[in-house]
Amino acid sequence: MIIDINFVGLIIASIMASAVPLILASCGELITERSGVLNLGVEGMMIIGAISGFALMTVTGSLIIAVFGAMLAGVLISTIFAFLTQTLITNHVATGLALTIFGIGISAMIGKNFVGIPGKEFPVLFEGLKDTMPLLSPILFGHSVVFYFAFALPFITSYFLKKTKIGLIVRAVGDSPESASNQGINVKFVRYACILYGGAMCGLAGAYLSMIYTPQWIENMTGGRGWIALALVVFSTWNPIKILIGAMIFGGLTIIQFHMQAIGVRIPVQFLTALPYIVTIIVLVVISRDSRKIRLSTPSSLGKSFYKDN
Amino acid sequence: MNTNLKISNITKIYPGCVANENVSLEFNSGKIYALLGENGAGKSTLVKILSGVIIPDEGEIYLNENNLKLNSPLDAKKNDIGMVFQHFNLFETLSVFENLIIDSDEPRETLREKIDSIMKKYNFSIDLDIPVLNLSAGQKQKVEIIRCLIRSPKVLIMDEPTSVLTEQETSELFLSLKKFSEEGILIIYITHKLKEVMQLCDEVAVMRRGKLVSVSQIKNENIESLANKMVGQNLKTIKKKKEKTSSDQLINITNLNFISEDPFETNLNDINFSVNRGECLGIAGISGNGQSELFQVLSGEILSNKNSIEFNKNYIGDLNPQERREYMMAFSPEDRLEQAAIPQMAIFENVALNNFKSSNFFNNGLINENKIKEHSKKIISEFNVNTDNIELKSQFLSGGNLQKLIIGRELITSPDLLICFNPTWGLDVGAINYIHETLIKINEQNKSIILISTDTDELLKLSDKISVIHKGKLSKIMNADEVTSKKLGILMGGGN
Repeated sequence: MIIDINFVGLIIASIMASAVPLILASCGELITERSGVLNLGVEGMMIIGAISGFALMTVTGSLIIAVFGAMLAGVLISTIFAFLTQTLITNHVATGLALTIFGIGISAMIGKNFVGIPGKEFPVLFEGLKDTMPLLSPILFGHSVVFYFAFALPFITSYFLKKTKIGLIVRAVGDSPESASNQGINVKFVRYACILYGGAMCGLAGAYLSMIYTPQWIENMTGGRGWIALALVVFSTWNPIKILIGAMIFGGLTIIQFHMQAIGVRIPVQFLTALPYIVTIIVLVVISRDSRKIRLSTPSSLGKSFYKDN
Repeated sequence: MNTNLKISNITKIYPGCVANENVSLEFNSGKIYALLGENGAGKSTLVKILSGVIIPDEGEIYLNENNLKLNSPLDAKKNDIGMVFQHFNLFETLSVFENLIIDSDEPRETLREKIDSIMKKYNFSIDLDIPVLNLSAGQKQKVEIIRCLIRSPKVLIMDEPTSVLTEQETSELFLSLKKFSEEGILIIYITHKLKEVMQLCDEVAVMRRGKLVSVSQIKNENIESLANKMVGQNLKTIKKKKEKTSSDQLINITNLNFISEDPFETNLNDINFSVNRGECLGIAGISGNGQSELFQVLSGEILSNKNSIEFNKNYIGDLNPQERREYMMAFSPEDRLEQAAIPQMAIFENVALNNFKSSNFFNNGLINENKIKEHSKKIISEFNVNTDNIELKSQFLSGGNLQKLIIGRELITSPDLLICFNPTWGLDVGAINYIHETLIKINEQNKSIILISTDTDELLKLSDKISVIHKGKLSKIMNADEVTSKKLGILMGGGN
């Protein structure tokens, strides 16, 4: 059997495409968690983004409005979470779970009118360069703008956290909100901002699914990707670059096991389907096993409510 | 330029508690001021008001005649008031440098130069690029101080700065503070330690129950007069009657060794001592020299060779704490809220943790609540714990009350031996006195004590015999009346 080198390139490109929503949602959630807030509503915010993007595209016909509308929808739903956890000091875990249930429910309700409607084609960049190089061309060229943004995001996030003043403040709030507050940092404001940013990224991840990856609306179409994104954040020990690695492994194994099923490899299907979950976690645990580094990058106040007593 | 800080008629009321009532004070630069008071006297509230963390209900603050409105810590910083909190306000996982620059808008390079020159000037040496969690308590405090100095403050407030420091670190701190004062920084020093006030300060303001009770010059005061002002009554000076103790041996430790796998623990090296009935053996030492390990070995948290501990003619080295308690040993560990009591559990539940076969706290696996509550009430009344509510979670007891409860829980069964580790750490004078009286009383009842403490005054006051632990080795055992604090100091530092 001769393997066409361009076919390999296409497989890698499809692996990368399947990693995009995971990277976007994880990097958003990473910022939220770095400020000390545990938002388990990722799945809910993604699905809201997915339906909002698809519905706006169908109704307005504008892709730009649809993409930014999906991000805004993510922001709005995360505002509910922010208001509950930061202003009313509710429990992060319970509120996040409620957000996911709420998101899945409301997206199904809105989505009823959009089932079966075909999506639009999303413009891709650098399409002319698609045949210039074997192997590399299908990987590098001919993708949507969201795709390129997603692969830049882990590096931007890493730079933001390590090198900028605002990134330092986010980390400080996540480390000790009490100290931050005593240093004159407005903890509530910082956490609100981080939650809303996380919401915007999850909304974008959802929009990518319903508008670019599989351009249509299917109920519950995020299919647990939000939970995977959450797991990636934790198992990457809050490191954006490791999120990228984890998302690629997960995406890769998902795609490869599809191909293996198609070829008819004699391994039980159940095992193949479970494989990406198991391997991703094992790999991330192995590359993150330095306990000192874990201690240094784990936001100490994660999931704990903070309120100022005057 | 001279700095003048004036506070007038500050009042802060919390539900059920007046934290500050009409407090007025005036401070001038060039002097070091002490704000003295017991725990809960309102001094921390007052300095938190000065640093903008708490907003007062009434009252004004003037800095050089300007009326300050401090609504947030940022306002205090802008007005050149720097504060080092009792509980460090540091970000443990961030680097020292990141901790220092977080509240500044200047570029990183300028700040690094500035920090370097401050460290040089005051002889601080701290690696700026390691995370704060790797620093010692003394170094962490220096980071806090540098953070204040970067802003060239006019006023520097230190809230109980020595509670976590070793003696060496304390004297270094005092040198720095004197230097700052000479350079014109107004220093307000909050403490309940009288000795430090006498050593360091020029003027002292005493607070009691939220009110200012006196302002005076240090040269007109002495330790007794300050203590009486602070507590509000004449303290009895307690003194132990040195009687000839029996020669009836109660506990005998022979060739006790402990080798730890944890690099942060100290190994114990060939420990030998014995304690007679009615005797108090004091073990002195700078913290971290094996006291914690010794306490754990004696209490049975760490098991050792069966024959290395002989108690009341039984070999008990391999028994756990519960089993040792059945042989009438009792323990009061150092960390009251972590080791001695469970903070989230009620008082009576904590009492039930010290449970004997004979105490009948449990029937067929069920909790006998009435029995435990009755027992708890007895402890509370006999040991002066200042609360009626035995359902109160133990974390809400003050340090002094909690220690009384713990000592009471241990002593109510009248054990033959009490082993205690820093029993008065962080307590105010009233509570310390009570604990000391209690310890002397049990000696008089012919019961014995092993007192592991880092407070040499306490050891000299209570012990019949004293030994010093240094790097996991015990010095020879000396009679307490032949020992001076100077000699202890030398032995604690590893000298001869």
